[in-house]
Amino acid sequence: MLLTTVVLVLREMLEAALIVSVLLGWSVLHGRSRRWIGVALVTGIAGAAVYAVNAAAVSEWFDYVGMEVVNAAMQFAVCTALLVLAARPAARAATWPMLVAVSLAVVREGFEILLYLSGFVADRGAWSTVALGSALGAGIGISAGALLFYLVVGLRRVRALRVAELLIALFAGNMAAQGVLLLIQADWIPGGVQVWNTAGLLAEDSVLGQLLYALIGYEATPSIWQVTAYAGVFCLLFVFFLRRPTRADGNGSGP
Amino acid sequence: MRKLLGVFGAICGATAVLAGPPEFQLEIRDHLFFPAELVVPANTKVRLLVINADPTAEEFESYELNREKIIPGGRKAVVFIGPLAPGEYPFFGEFFPKTAQGKVIAR
Repeated sequence: MLLTTVVLVLREMLEAALIVSVLLGWSVLHGRSRRWIGVALVTGIAGAAVYAVNAAAVSEWFDYVGMEVVNAAMQFAVCTALLVLAARPAARAATWPMLVAVSLAVVREGFEILLYLSGFVADRGAWSTVALGSALGAGIGISAGALLFYLVVGLRRVRALRVAELLIALFAGNMAAQGVLLLIQADWIPGGVQVWNTAGLLAEDSVLGQLLYALIGYEATPSIWQVTAYAGVFCLLFVFFLRRPTRADGNGSGP
Repeated sequence: MRKLLGVFGAICGATAVLAGPPEFQLEIRDHLFFPAELVVPANTKVRLLVINADPTAEEFESYELNREKIIPGGRKAVVFIGPLAPGEYPFFGEFFPKTAQGKVIAR
């Protein structure tokens, strides 16, 4: 049970920690206050609690695929927030898209951890093991996030911005692909053909597979629609980021 | 005649929608899946109704099926899977993976 808890909490934490550290790095690089992150985390955790309390009801919406629809909507909202962030060079340091992206990411991942933990409320004998496992999983997840944050902000500014842009574009593509997969699972959109099968080469349940899943959304057997959504959003963000701020935007990394 | 064909078409369409993909049931009890081996038709999309009879939440997860879904305690939920090539597709409960193990067999 200890290992199960560590792995489960860590898996959820990694994905949230990634976007938190990259966007936090992003606002530091743009010389903004980091205060928004506190608001985003508190909002996200509160949202996760509300979602967990209402999970049973949501689950039965839309003929028992309510969670897929709600989760997909959240993934697409994160995606949209990141597109807004990148779309106008002048607005690249706006805090509200980052606030939306981080709080929704925390709702999604936090809700799953809370539902898992709720299973042990009545089982007093398991409390210490589950608490230790959660602390370990959360600790490793937060450390990984901190490492990434310092790696990004530690680079020279221009290179740091490029790395952050790349990570944001990958993350947004991943969110789009996950949203599409959820709608396929709910039968709201057709499954489409499987583009590749690399399960033999790199299994999704291997350590590297799990890590790559959290970092870039690695899938061993993706559908054509997942790949299309991923590539589409990634390229769109990439093109947006290529548009550099000019001095007229008043927010440039100008001279 | 065209009107008649139209009516016929509408009835066929409505039947197809109402019939939908074939449904299969899976129950979670004491952190175990029943049946642990679920046989489904190959190359057909299937509606999998998962009934969680436990008071605790469980997450139906399968790397092979590319599916991941939480079912709150005492509730049921639907997962669409396939169309699958003939073969075996293991799944497990992510919250209680030691006991909650099973596989879908597509024939």
